[in-house]
Amino acid sequence: MTNKITNTKLEAPGLDAFQCGALITNKHRNIIYANAYFSNELNWQVEKLIGKSSDDLFTFSSKIFIESYLMPLLLHEKKCDEIQLALLDGKNNRISIIVNAKMDDQGHIYWSLFNATKRDKLYEELIETRNKLEAQAKILQSMSVTDELTGLMNRREINLRAPELLNQAKRYVHTVALLMIDIDHFKEVNDSYGHLEGDRVLKELGLRLKTFGRQTDLIARFGGEEFIMLLPDTDASDARLFAERLHKLVSEIHVNCTPVTVSIGITMSDGSHSLEDLTKQADTALYKAKSNGRNRTEFDQTSIYTG
Amino acid sequence: MPFANEIIKRNNVTILGSGEKTLLLAHGFGCDQNMWRFMLPALTAQYKVVLFDYVGSGHSEIAHYDQVRYSSLEGYAQDVLDICEALDLQDVIFVGHSVSSTIGLIASIQKPNAFSQLIMICPSPCFLNVKPDYMGGFEKSDLEELIDLMDKNYIGWANYLAPLVMGANNSEKLVGELSGSFCSTDPLIAKTFAKATFFSDYRHLLKEAKHPVLIFQSSQDALASTEVGDYMLKQLPEAELQLIKAEGHCLHMTHPDIINQALRAYID
Repeated sequence: MTNKITNTKLEAPGLDAFQCGALITNKHRNIIYANAYFSNELNWQVEKLIGKSSDDLFTFSSKIFIESYLMPLLLHEKKCDEIQLALLDGKNNRISIIVNAKMDDQGHIYWSLFNATKRDKLYEELIETRNKLEAQAKILQSMSVTDELTGLMNRREINLRAPELLNQAKRYVHTVALLMIDIDHFKEVNDSYGHLEGDRVLKELGLRLKTFGRQTDLIARFGGEEFIMLLPDTDASDARLFAERLHKLVSEIHVNCTPVTVSIGITMSDGSHSLEDLTKQADTALYKAKSNGRNRTEFDQTSIYTG
Repeated sequence: MPFANEIIKRNNVTILGSGEKTLLLAHGFGCDQNMWRFMLPALTAQYKVVLFDYVGSGHSEIAHYDQVRYSSLEGYAQDVLDICEALDLQDVIFVGHSVSSTIGLIASIQKPNAFSQLIMICPSPCFLNVKPDYMGGFEKSDLEELIDLMDKNYIGWANYLAPLVMGANNSEKLVGELSGSFCSTDPLIAKTFAKATFFSDYRHLLKEAKHPVLIFQSSQDALASTEVGDYMLKQLPEAELQLIKAEGHCLHMTHPDIINQALRAYID
């Protein structure tokens, strides 16, 4: 029985035929053992590796990684599973490897190295995909909140953001004005001069509202030719003045040499109303402005802060 | 003291030992305050020792992480200053490993009264080669490869794709679960710290130092060569350098007794 085992041992094709690198370094980081993998696969001569520092086997970036993660981990926890590094082979080629290592009480480190070229390729793809997805998510996010034509926020976004603004008004006890702005006779612009001309008017108005508004105002295209502005920290007389200047600003836009006009409905709130309530009230005031001859501003009479 | 309590929690501040002198130990890039554990037994017997984790490292409160603030070492220096203020520390002896040596230098220049001496273990004011006068050891391409390597090593971690799936703001819980391990943190946080550490150049601050400095230099350190140590010694107004015959960048872990002894001799 014993003989048989001995025989098998003798007949074995060499015990060091593993398809991974094995390395032992002493506490001074000098290599005291390297297996045949280093000569068979990594273009090193094993004899020349003995006595070298393990530092010499790695790229610069890997050295930082080793000093910042691998060594502290080994000193602290005595072992380290699965760290990806870049190894330099005997011909100075850069090879991606996965390292598993453990340290004994004398400071010897037992390194196992596995070629990770394919894994590295997959990771590159994964990183690239992640970067692409991140960029895409950014674009989609901005698209989902923006009105494409005017670049203002869309109805969905103002619905999401209004509650915070209204809550703040309530908390800090100031009033908020909501302006509903509607282009007069917009249908006629479209019918007489075409949709492209209509789009131009919408764009121009959007741009003016954006530059006229303050950073803290919420400005959205609410639908068709209707825009709303939610102005924090604004009382009724501020809102009236604001609307007057808006009328003037809009008249800079011309269609067939005629100034464009808008009708504006305003409602005031102390922050205790919902956006839905406020838009309904402003809509009523807007209807009044339209029926009183257009190109004018009316306040909602139910809101207590009417100026 | 709401501010003090908040900072203590935020930076996972630990106070050990007692003594007339106070040491503030600041860990380097990659790990957390556990790095100091081999030095602690000897130190706590003689000094009051304050340990902490930078926001984003170890068991700090990730919720306080601010991408802009921690994109430069000044942000980390503010952590140090916040801790000094919270604990009302004066004339503290600051002990920093690697990049924390520079962080300590920044903090000590901003608020000199809080500090009395700076002890730097394996410091480097600039890891980049700035030819022809200064060789920090690394080319920009090496450091870019480092960021790439960090990315690849984080893929295996559960939260690599989480920010994308969950939205960056919701990843806190996942990050919390991972931060139990010694060297782990959120990938974005680690990369930001790496960039602040390895792409920066604070050589100009050395001349501005307002306190005596003791440098521990490893004779064979892939991150901070002896030339870098010599450069610092020349630039600092009042400095001493101790060359330790050793391999590696973590002298406080590999040679805690030698460091402790020299440190005690220096400050007492």
